[in-house]
Amino acid sequence: MVNAVMVRGAAIEVGSLVKKYGNLAAVDGISFTVNRGEVFAFVGPNGAGKTTTVEILVCLRRSTDGEAKVLGFDISDKRGQLQIRKRVGVLPQDFNTFDLLTVRENLSYYRKMYDKGTDIGRLIALVGLKDKANVLYKNLSGGLKKRLAIAIALVNDPEVVFLDEPTTGLDPKARRDMWDLIEGLKEQGKTVFLTTHYMDEAEILADTVAIINSGKIIAMGTPSELISKHGGKTTLIVEEGGSSVHELLSKILPEVRLENDGDVLAVLKKKSDLPEAILALSKKKEEFAELIVRRPTMEDVFLNLTGRKIVEGELH
Amino acid sequence: MWFRSKHTIFWTLAFPILLMLLFGAIFSVSQNPSFNLHVQNRDLANGEPTQLSKSLYDTMNGTGILNLQLVDSEENTTQYIEENGIQRMLIIPQGFHNSCLTNNASIILKLVPPEVDTASATVKRVVEQMVEIFNIAVTEQNPLKAVTIEDQSIISESYSFIDFFVPGLIGMTLMTSGIFGAIGWNTRNRELGILKKLATTPLSKLEWIIGVVLYEFVMGAISTVIILGIGVLVFNLKVMPNIYSLILIISGAVAFPGIGMVIAHFVKESDSADAAGNAITFPMMFLSGTFFPLEFMPDFLQQIAKFLPLTYLSNGLRDSMVYGNVQSALFNTAVMLGVAAFFIALGALITNWREE
Repeated sequence: MVNAVMVRGAAIEVGSLVKKYGNLAAVDGISFTVNRGEVFAFVGPNGAGKTTTVEILVCLRRSTDGEAKVLGFDISDKRGQLQIRKRVGVLPQDFNTFDLLTVRENLSYYRKMYDKGTDIGRLIALVGLKDKANVLYKNLSGGLKKRLAIAIALVNDPEVVFLDEPTTGLDPKARRDMWDLIEGLKEQGKTVFLTTHYMDEAEILADTVAIINSGKIIAMGTPSELISKHGGKTTLIVEEGGSSVHELLSKILPEVRLENDGDVLAVLKKKSDLPEAILALSKKKEEFAELIVRRPTMEDVFLNLTGRKIVEGELH
Repeated sequence: MWFRSKHTIFWTLAFPILLMLLFGAIFSVSQNPSFNLHVQNRDLANGEPTQLSKSLYDTMNGTGILNLQLVDSEENTTQYIEENGIQRMLIIPQGFHNSCLTNNASIILKLVPPEVDTASATVKRVVEQMVEIFNIAVTEQNPLKAVTIEDQSIISESYSFIDFFVPGLIGMTLMTSGIFGAIGWNTRNRELGILKKLATTPLSKLEWIIGVVLYEFVMGAISTVIILGIGVLVFNLKVMPNIYSLILIISGAVAFPGIGMVIAHFVKESDSADAAGNAITFPMMFLSGTFFPLEFMPDFLQQIAKFLPLTYLSNGLRDSMVYGNVQSALFNTAVMLGVAAFFIALGALITNWREE
């Protein structure tokens, strides 16, 4: 489906962007392009520079150096900034709105700031707040507050939507609902700039992922590109296979490891590795609990690139 | 925790320091206060004051407490008082000199009722004492009273204390609700991150400031109606705002939130919002003549009062509501509107939504 408003060209172009606080570079010379209609995920631990980048792109902060254009408008130009603010929707990380206004009242408050926009009733339905339309903001649960935040970010029918950590602090159910919403945005043809510290989220939602660490982009590409490049190989796990399975598979496959709990891990390097291994196991009638084929994930990508893991946003 | 926030420290310290300096200055007046008294001497002979009328004038002038201002003998006093917003006037009638000699002279003292105005009460006492001294001098220890004082109220209505108090109260309420309201609203929304979200929309700073000012204006209007309502229902209030004082109330209800928006720029945490509001409003409350007549204060405080917006709002409201002085109302309205425009523009200029 081609949207008539959509024009060719990038939604966001960033070149050598730098943001310094004193001597500390929160953003250290990053460059990337976000195509129209794609979901672009900015992934990294807390303090990596994700929010700073978003705040520079939506003209909340001034950059120290480098350049950036959003929808073709220069972020350093005053008139460009107004055009950007008219055309983008923002869900700030620490979003809040008026406590004593209802869902509907909050939406119409923000709707009035724009010349054109989306019908409020439709927005309420879109984010699934129909039953809560007349509930005060302060009485909403965390997940519902985030949904209203998304609705407010969409109130001007924006071309680009910035979502700064939309799922942080949500329970698993609310997180999945949020994923559905974001996928819906993509179907509507909107460009989504998403930041997150959840690797699985980026893998599921994003067309393009940029991994940011200490203000620098350390890898960028589609999730499958990144995984095949940095994620390592697929592994066959023979649970509770023990030393006999270890011995058997070592003859066929080049990299086999016996874990302390008896699991045997074999790295699958060629396409034929998996059928051969299974054939050997069934021929010898080896005993084991379960066979698992584990593909590498974005988490492996990050681990391989940085040697560290992200747990709840923090580096470990 | 408290000492780690520079803003909170500043505003918390500013309040007691200002308050202490203020009251110290008010109550440690070393020189005697002086009070204006307009004098019209109608007892002229060949264009010169008669001997005894001049002598009475000199006696009054010798106290150092009364600051006499001579009014031309041709002036219509009623008109003069109204046009110039005069609160106290002494009239020496024609034929005073001759009447003195026959022990039946009288002078007219026009005052705001002393029961409602401490300055008037003081002036009245001083005039009475001076007349007694004058009597003794004129009659050479004759116990007869040569001169008597005829009291006249400067206002036609029979107003009571509440009528004089209410205009000041309205001014004070507009100030406190405007300043506290604007500071509180702004700091709370900044802390909650709502200002940040608003900064990502096309809403401009000026629109936001005008929005807050209008909101506080409505609050101020409601307070004014409540004050007047309770005044009428419970205390038999007689003064009512005329069209001029209404304009003045509106200008005040817009000016003070404007000031609040500028102060809000310097208040970063909601912890210090109240301290900042107090530090700004308390000195204004006491220096504007709402509680103590300005004449009781040392000169330098009277000078400071000239720079406080509340002085103009209170004076204008009292002059228009109690004395029906239109000119004063218009002048003070102009000052308040100027203050409003200045602070709203300044607020729009210095308010910083985008962070560095």
